[in-house]
Amino acid sequence: MSDAKSSQKRKWRVSRRGFLIGTGVLGAGLALGYGVGLPKARLQMAGMFDGGIRPSNLPVEPMQWIEITPANKVIFHLSKIEMGQGVHTALAQILAEELEAAWANIEVRHASTARGPVDANGTTGSTTVSSNYNSLRQIAATMREMLRAEAAKLLNVSAASLVAQNSMFVAGASKISYGEVVKAHVGNWELPKDKPTLKTPSEFKLIGKPAPRVDLPAKVQGETVYGLDARLPGMLYGAVAMPPTLGATLRRASVGDANDQPGVRKVVIEDGFAGVVAESRQQAQSAVNALTLVWDEGKRWQQSDVDAMLEINERELVAIQQEGNGVLPSRGVGVIEAHYSSPFAAHAQLEPQSALAEVQADRARVWVSTQMPSLARSEIAKALGMKDEQVDVIPTFIGGGFGRKYGADVGIPAARLSRAMGGKPVHVSWTRSEEFQHGYLRPPTRHILRGVLGADGRIDGLTHLQSSGEVAGAFLPAAMMTALGSDFGAWRGGRIHYAVPNRYVGTKFVKLPARTSWWRGLGLLANTFAIESFIDELAHAAKVDPLAFRLKNVGNDERGERFRKVLTAVADKAGWGRPAPAGRARGLACCIDGNAVVAQVAEVSVETGGAKPKIRVHRFVSAIDAGLVINPDGVKAQTEGAIVMGISSALLEQATLVDGRVSANNFDAYPLLTMRDTPSIETVIVPGGDQPFGVGEPPLGPVAAAIGNAVFALTGKRLRDLPLAL
Amino acid sequence: MKLDINGKTIEVPDAPSRLLLWVLRDELGLIGTKFGCGAGICGSCTVHVNGVATRACITPLSAVAGKAVRTIEGLAEAKANGEVKLHPVQQAWIDEQVPQCGWCQSGQMMQAAAFLQQTPKPNEAQIVEAMSGNYCRCGCYMRIKQAVARAAQVNIAQHDEVNA
Repeated sequence: MSDAKSSQKRKWRVSRRGFLIGTGVLGAGLALGYGVGLPKARLQMAGMFDGGIRPSNLPVEPMQWIEITPANKVIFHLSKIEMGQGVHTALAQILAEELEAAWANIEVRHASTARGPVDANGTTGSTTVSSNYNSLRQIAATMREMLRAEAAKLLNVSAASLVAQNSMFVAGASKISYGEVVKAHVGNWELPKDKPTLKTPSEFKLIGKPAPRVDLPAKVQGETVYGLDARLPGMLYGAVAMPPTLGATLRRASVGDANDQPGVRKVVIEDGFAGVVAESRQQAQSAVNALTLVWDEGKRWQQSDVDAMLEINERELVAIQQEGNGVLPSRGVGVIEAHYSSPFAAHAQLEPQSALAEVQADRARVWVSTQMPSLARSEIAKALGMKDEQVDVIPTFIGGGFGRKYGADVGIPAARLSRAMGGKPVHVSWTRSEEFQHGYLRPPTRHILRGVLGADGRIDGLTHLQSSGEVAGAFLPAAMMTALGSDFGAWRGGRIHYAVPNRYVGTKFVKLPARTSWWRGLGLLANTFAIESFIDELAHAAKVDPLAFRLKNVGNDERGERFRKVLTAVADKAGWGRPAPAGRARGLACCIDGNAVVAQVAEVSVETGGAKPKIRVHRFVSAIDAGLVINPDGVKAQTEGAIVMGISSALLEQATLVDGRVSANNFDAYPLLTMRDTPSIETVIVPGGDQPFGVGEPPLGPVAAAIGNAVFALTGKRLRDLPLAL
Repeated sequence: MKLDINGKTIEVPDAPSRLLLWVLRDELGLIGTKFGCGAGICGSCTVHVNGVATRACITPLSAVAGKAVRTIEGLAEAKANGEVKLHPVQQAWIDEQVPQCGWCQSGQMMQAAAFLQQTPKPNEAQIVEAMSGNYCRCGCYMRIKQAVARAAQVNIAQHDEVNA
């Protein structure tokens, strides 16, 4: 809770170059902040989504800031949340590189919304490193030059004679640490006249080298504070009555026997809301069951209702990609058609929604496990009838995000219950059953693929018709979604990444009875599964090797060239073209996401003898061109994690609707992949350009298709529905 | 009732229905032990009870009366000079850069430490068998396996003896 100790806010004065120089508080020290290059962030968003979505409110305050203390520490206050993706380490590497800071002297902290920067974009979409890279280097180098000018004065030498290294300037026998410089400094800091010179890649000492994760020492000792771990003296625990079925609303609530339950401090019944505050979490959760509640349950939704809503009617689709002849007919000479599907899936992040709130009459502090502190703040402020500025959201580490920790969630009931308790801190967390029933899910999808082969193993026409539950639509205003006509989250990964002269992608999105929204990669896994499995079908129809078929069809532009390199790299590593070990076969798939190009080979066998045949993945090889790589070990870790999550999704995970509820209440009905079924995973990093691209989601894209294509190679059976089953 | 937690005797109000997990976390502030499922399936809450890996989320307080409970906070060795010597499993977790979000990792490490105490020189199949009851949603399984193998090269028994 480091940043919460002070709710003081720095005053910022805007310099002529758009940086903000912190003045005034916290005694001596130098702090610089910057707004993350917004035009670039916008461009990336547009490039990624092609839907013209932009952050709705432009940040007016710096989004990250960096402080050098007299004790020679570099404190990096970040609005980006660490949820395991390693961004605190990668950003610290970039900062240390240009600042010439000693690695051991850097401390990364989460910034609270009151004290630190407000970040309208949150930590989403694998954009943290790519959107910060250029600005962060500029600011770090600027800071270094400001320190250098000051150090030159202090040492009475020329600035040019000073060498910056390890948080220190050295000139011959004299040296002075950054901390000593800021300690000795008097008056305002001035930005240097000239833009600082940035390093060339050949000068990098940290960028591109594996760096140990800065958050691990605390994590291996169980000291890291996540949302469920937030504590305050005198805190109480809250639980809230949850609807028994999807869409049910609370008609009437009364105390019932809840007040008589042990440890109960207060029953709170407000408009449409019933909760209990008790001395322990177990007491609160069991006392909720003693409330007398009358629900309007509405329709008991079944999976068949969902299936009907997802049916694809070609007339209601909105085109998101159209070149050449338009939609291929469903029947015709040489038209190959296949239908694919993916189910509801849960995030199953192991830390449930958790928040601790302390709400006074005129201000609130809320510790939340959230990827979107700024959204959490406005949601909580709205629920409390406060202004945003009256609410301080203090983000914690996140015990698994994957898109699920978006906004305030239980921060709102925690705040309501704390207010009802006259400002006593109240912690609320969900049970696993509440997670499955009341969170949101990855939406199910349906896909119709049609293709026509041309001469010489080339694809002449390709159509992807897709329907999905909403993704972005769950959080963006309805008017915006209507204006867009399609849901860029649902169709992420759904455009055709092959150079086909006639190609068409049409989509529709549906608001389903169960909430659906962001899930790692959004639509990437489902859409890549459909397209890349179908490409495999076309390759076999053309009687061309699936690798050769892809190489032939990826196009001759720069992007096609990147695909060719990555496909070739993965094929070489996996031994494509050579026989697989006995009883196994290989499958290939690829994708492009957020400008990172990924290709993967799965090596599978099928075990018989059990109740049903079991697909086993033995080896998984993944190649990625992620542009400039900051931390190669971070890229490997994200690749390994995405592949495990992808295999779990491809082989095991599925939720359905039964009698108005989600089919699973816990992991007995929704098992995840374990070590037993995890293959050996090899990651190949293909050298890319001079800008970094995100890596948290792209390697998830091809996983299911690579496995399905391997199963086809082994058995001749084409599996078109997730989870894959023989 | 009296509990023996990480070698210290702690007095807590007696209530048989209370679960070890929430007493550790919410009453004693030992937040390193995590909640994941509340049903003993995912392993995030794994602690040692008399050296045996145990799911704290389904363990009533009454079941640990008179027994030694060890949590992640008690895994490292606290030296007299205030320094902390990590348990070989914790060190291996850093050396292999295992954790991502880290939520399940206390449970993973406690599972691994108890396993290595009983099986100091495991083969790969034994590691997989011992660790396949612990979920990791970030998908760190490959590194967990490597870290357990690495920790097995250190003399766990010696470390634990010092620590006990």
